[in-house]
Amino acid sequence: MIAAIGRTFREGVEEVGRAGGFVAESAGASRDMRTWLPLVTMHARMLGVDSLPIALFIALFTGIVLALLASYSITGAVPLYFVGTLVEKTITMELAPVLTGLALAGRVGANIAAELGTMRVTEQIDALETLSYDPYAYLVVPRVIAGTAMFPIVVGLAMVVGIAAGWGASIVLLDLSSPDFVKGLRLFFSAFDVRYGLVKSASFGAAVTLIGCMTGMRANGGAQGVGQAATRAVVYSAITILVLDAFWATVWLLGKSR
Amino acid sequence: MKRTNDFVVGLTILLGTLTIVGTTLWVKQTDLRNKHERITARFRDVGSVRVGAAVVLRGVNAGRVQRIELGRDGWVEVTMALDPSVPLPTNPVVLLNESSLFGEWQATITEESAIPRDEAISRQIADARKGAGEALPGATLPDIAQLTAVAGRIAGDVASVASRVEVAFDDQAARELRGSIKNFATLSAALAQTVRVQSSNLDKLSADMRLGMNRLAGSAETVQRVAERIDSSTATGEVRRIVSDVAIAAAQLKEASEEVRTMSKQLGRSQGRLESLLSSTDSVMDKINAGQGSVGLLVNDPRLYRNSDSLVTELRSLVQDFKANPKKYVNVRVF
Repeated sequence: MIAAIGRTFREGVEEVGRAGGFVAESAGASRDMRTWLPLVTMHARMLGVDSLPIALFIALFTGIVLALLASYSITGAVPLYFVGTLVEKTITMELAPVLTGLALAGRVGANIAAELGTMRVTEQIDALETLSYDPYAYLVVPRVIAGTAMFPIVVGLAMVVGIAAGWGASIVLLDLSSPDFVKGLRLFFSAFDVRYGLVKSASFGAAVTLIGCMTGMRANGGAQGVGQAATRAVVYSAITILVLDAFWATVWLLGKSR
Repeated sequence: MKRTNDFVVGLTILLGTLTIVGTTLWVKQTDLRNKHERITARFRDVGSVRVGAAVVLRGVNAGRVQRIELGRDGWVEVTMALDPSVPLPTNPVVLLNESSLFGEWQATITEESAIPRDEAISRQIADARKGAGEALPGATLPDIAQLTAVAGRIAGDVASVASRVEVAFDDQAARELRGSIKNFATLSAALAQTVRVQSSNLDKLSADMRLGMNRLAGSAETVQRVAERIDSSTATGEVRRIVSDVAIAAAQLKEASEEVRTMSKQLGRSQGRLESLLSSTDSVMDKINAGQGSVGLLVNDPRLYRNSDSLVTELRSLVQDFKANPKKYVNVRVF
């Protein structure tokens, strides 16, 4: 049992070390701009632009449900225009970044892991190395940069759509006028809310793409290994998103409220 | 394909950035054209006013707080961006106050003559006016937390007084007081009746005594006249002695009548005092019976006691609820 504990600890440390090594290799490969720069827009379209429909769809329904939940929660002395405040704060600071991040972790993370895993098990990555291509510069860096850059754009649009959906739901489904919703929306709005959500989503983008690349490039064992890599990418990405969410709240919000 | 990707990604980034920035500026009501008139006011303390807070003129939203910065000599300078088409009142001052119970603050521009009649606010305005230059003088009204603290102190004092009243004036005390007042009324009535009877007797006695004295005085004078006549008509020593004795007796009778007269006067004064006392007592009793004054209400209107008791109970309930749920009354924070 003691040996098992020691082995688990050693494997955990090795995993952290490998992840650190992977990140260091990727950072080192980012100097090779001629290799990764032409590929960035292609990955940005695949990871960001093509993810817009699902992200906006999620934001649309999140905004509607959130407005209804807020009106349900607000009773008695609290005026109904606080629905606007709740929708703005919740969508901007939490739901748009996290829900979009989790959705893209499934779509983008699994996609990257499966793609790179297939390349690994079919020895295409070995072939790249044989041809003197740095696989990190060619495969990892453009995806990470595209993900880091496009996640905030996708999340920002999701924020706008989510708030607009909450606004529409408040007017149509609730006994709330448009000026009242806007009053609540503006009541405690701060540009920091948007900044916080966008920075958080950029960190989610970097984490999801890095984890997808790492699990994909370490895939082995054929199709089964590729499937396992995709699954690991989604699970690790979702966990990392939640951990990063807590990290940003602790570091940024806690420091700001003091 | 590569150029298509570049175009699509570039367009998405551009549109996304414009949408996010535009929405943020719209929600923040940022003045991009910079067409607002800027007015500065100075305060000793700005409470919880933040940049972006509403500026209200005659109840209408006329602008926003644009900048808050620390100035010289302990002043805080607040710059407000106002709609230039809105004319300011003559002799304007700026009041910072809460606009709702949820922590929102606003700046209200008003005429100095229209500010609340409060010594502290007037002092703040006068202080801020000294050497203000172009800046408007400003004052900060107390927030709900301060008002609640004062109300809490008052409620505590009321509860303390009520508990003391409750301790000192319980049901037993009220019953005893009511009984005492009834006894006093009975006693007073009996005393008044007694005094009326005695006063009548004294009047009668006094009249009889006065009549007796008058008759005695008349008799003495007659006796003296007879004696003088006898004295003058007879020269014998016996008659003169008898007459002399009769004169002495008459003098003694006169002294006695003087003493009775003095006593009668004293009785008259005593009667006057008793009548005054009785009239005062009658007045008090009439008021009590008519339900006038605190004692009258207390004796005749049992609702006063029940209301006092109910007030104490409600005040205790309010204070307990306030202590248990202070957020119910104060400082609701959503975030």
